[in-house]
Amino acid sequence: MRRPVLARRDQVLRGGQPLAFGVGLAVALVVGLFLLMGSGHDPIRIYGRMFDASLGDPRAWSVTLNRAVPLGLAGLAVAVAGSMGLWNIGAEGQIMAGAIGAAWVARIGGDWPGPVLVTAMLAAAVVGGGLLALGPAIARARIGVNEIITTLMLNEVAIRLVQWLIHGRWKDPGSHNFPLAPMLPDNGRLPTLFERAHLGVVLAGIVIVLFGLAASRTAWGYELRVAGSSGATARYAGISLKRKILTVLVLSGAVAGFAGGVELAGNADRITEGISNGFGFAGIIVAALALMRPSGVAAVAVLFGAVQIGGQSIQTMGVSSSVSTILQALILFGAIAAGVLSRYRILMVAGNTVETPSSGVGS
Amino acid sequence: MNPPPDDAPAEPASAVELSGIWKRFPGVVANAGAHLKVRTGTVHAVLGENGAGKSTLMNVLSGVYRPDEGEVRIDGVVHHFRSPSDALAAGVGMVHQEFRLVPSFTVAENVVLGAAERIVRRQVVESAVADLAERFGLATEPDRPVWQLSMGERQRVEILKALWRDARILILDEPTAVLTPGEADELGRILRHMADDDRTVIFISHKLHEVTGFCDEATVLRGGATVAASLSVAETDSSQLAGLMVGSSPVITERRPPVVVGGPMLEVVELVCMDDRGLPALHGVDLTVGAGEIVGIAGVAGNGQRELAQAVAGLRPTTGGSVRIGGSDLTGAMPRQRFGAGLGYIPEDRMGVGLAPQLSVTDNAILRTYPTHRRGPFLDAEAATAHCRDLVDRFGVRTGPLDQPIAGLSGGNLQRLLVGRELSNEPRVVVAAQPTRGLDVQGVKAIQDLLVAEREAGVAILLISEDLDELLTLTDRLLVMHGGRVVAAFDPEVAGRHEIGEAMVGHVPTGAEPA
Repeated sequence: MRRPVLARRDQVLRGGQPLAFGVGLAVALVVGLFLLMGSGHDPIRIYGRMFDASLGDPRAWSVTLNRAVPLGLAGLAVAVAGSMGLWNIGAEGQIMAGAIGAAWVARIGGDWPGPVLVTAMLAAAVVGGGLLALGPAIARARIGVNEIITTLMLNEVAIRLVQWLIHGRWKDPGSHNFPLAPMLPDNGRLPTLFERAHLGVVLAGIVIVLFGLAASRTAWGYELRVAGSSGATARYAGISLKRKILTVLVLSGAVAGFAGGVELAGNADRITEGISNGFGFAGIIVAALALMRPSGVAAVAVLFGAVQIGGQSIQTMGVSSSVSTILQALILFGAIAAGVLSRYRILMVAGNTVETPSSGVGS
Repeated sequence: MNPPPDDAPAEPASAVELSGIWKRFPGVVANAGAHLKVRTGTVHAVLGENGAGKSTLMNVLSGVYRPDEGEVRIDGVVHHFRSPSDALAAGVGMVHQEFRLVPSFTVAENVVLGAAERIVRRQVVESAVADLAERFGLATEPDRPVWQLSMGERQRVEILKALWRDARILILDEPTAVLTPGEADELGRILRHMADDDRTVIFISHKLHEVTGFCDEATVLRGGATVAASLSVAETDSSQLAGLMVGSSPVITERRPPVVVGGPMLEVVELVCMDDRGLPALHGVDLTVGAGEIVGIAGVAGNGQRELAQAVAGLRPTTGGSVRIGGSDLTGAMPRQRFGAGLGYIPEDRMGVGLAPQLSVTDNAILRTYPTHRRGPFLDAEAATAHCRDLVDRFGVRTGPLDQPIAGLSGGNLQRLLVGRELSNEPRVVVAAQPTRGLDVQGVKAIQDLLVAEREAGVAILLISEDLDELLTLTDRLLVMHGGRVVAAFDPEVAGRHEIGEAMVGHVPTGAEPA
């Protein structure tokens, strides 16, 4: 009997990540093809519709870009922490915290001029996201509490907080007792760029570019790289690890919070339980595929946005929206597999030659 | 019909026979037709400088790499290993330079990990491991967790792992690099024990005295090829082996004439600190190093030398005493302040403390000085590259593109970069911990020459080393540490190895008490 094993390549295949990504996409589309055929659909028509709805014309692009904004910002949030070896799994909750901050400002500033109100909302969103990350940041920096657990758990806290607000204090008196927050005032909305696309697309782009520059060109980014490579080396170089962990995790939360603010002011009518819509978790995938580099986040986010929008569009053709979720998962699987195969190759070996010989015990 | 000739030699097949091994990596030919023949039941040294192709050849033998050309025979049978487990199935086990142990597991658990029945009883495994250890004279405690063990003990666990898996051919990759002299001698006895049991040991090293001490035969590699095969160690003298390794006459370091020692530059008074486990490591260490003086610290590993270096460098909090550099009190100061005050530190762990593995050559070169290569919040890339280029040129670092990760550099070049970086800021005091450990002959000489040049320029140097020859050659005064204290001081010109050795185990000869 022959079976496959992985053997390390002497040299990593060229072109690495973009190639892996392309392979992942191809794998996802091919597997999806069978999936769709198996459920009695015409895959070519479905794929065509997905493409038209997400990238087919300026209007489709505008919707896709709007979706890419929270995905990209959440991905950036995860990547900022990830570049130092920290895992912020709490972007989902931080997006909600940011949206709460922005919604609160919108409640008190309904009669402010638009630019002032929107700026204040986004600032409050940044503060909200940062605040939610502050606890895990302090715990990690001071006493080494694993930030994966703390940030993850705070997601629950954030969603309960939103529920509490919209069921209680923030419930719209005109909502006929439905748990709904009031609509945002018109001056609290981001201006439109073209078709559906809102100013958030530009803002997100600027934030991502700024972080990209900071990571690659500044002393701050350099310290981050050193700390991410080796904590002991960072201490040797005189970099305060505690302060770095604290600032990076809070910043990560602030970026996610910003995503919540932009999503609220740009895309939503009001704050709801679904305001973060899984963007925080999708952001982890986006960051992983971008190899924790801010520069890669934007491209991955647009592609993921297109898959999500395309997936939504085919629901009218009787295809479950789960197809889009499955496709996203398949892209990730395919990309990870391709990444592994760029470092390893598959060998067929005969039989059980690698079974370890028994020895010692009982003999 | 081709019957074998009657006079075919009756000699048994060699345990290992590698012939015509070629292995090419992009831009590098690591093995160029290397060959190796090892008789069963012997300890065989594979000698060569860093980059001579020893590790590649051993990786071919242990199934990590597949050779481009050539043949691997084990006990006369041709094998094509596809993985280390294939090699292990044929009886070839490797003890790696970096140990692959689970720190929180016990010795016994580490030994049987992946090679035990599904359900095992703790006592049964522990006693089986204890039996195995006893059979080969490996002192160990099967129920102790690995994190509590010294490097020498951890290495014995690695050896036990290979023996447990029934390896008849053991490859040890620079096994003594992490050991104290006493532990190295102990290892020599263990290896002899295994050879007497008809196992075969391949010992990779570039320390000649170990080869002459432990090994039966030696094969010398240079530039990826075998330059001398299966020399009998008993009939070859070590300078001949050294000559084969470097291809020229061996390096002899001579003592430099003493220079005038200036005022005290490094003053350590009653220094107290804890080790990683929170146990006392230094019990009040006093020492002074004057300008233009090299003071050596000898001692068996684990007697506080590591903690002393870290405490002086500011990487380990102290709980008592003081550290003065150039007259100013820097007790409790941050590492960067100490660097600013003129302290250069060459840490024992190059990779992971002194250098950041995934970062580029330039990023590592500016680790100490990056706050000065700034333009506003931005790093001045040109200044950083210029600084790096300057280091690379001045200290003869052989490197590829400066923006590539340093992981590709050889050990000697990594150390040149690190030492160069620490010396480039004109330090007044240099603390050098194991600066030449694991380097090849040329690398050792280059680093030693740099230290001696600094001394002549009036720098105060504290040299912590486990290589007694190095200490005796380079230092002006030699202190011995034992149990977290400086227990003896010697004049290296006249000190006897025997007295120093006695002091290292805590027997202080009269007249050697530290002043």
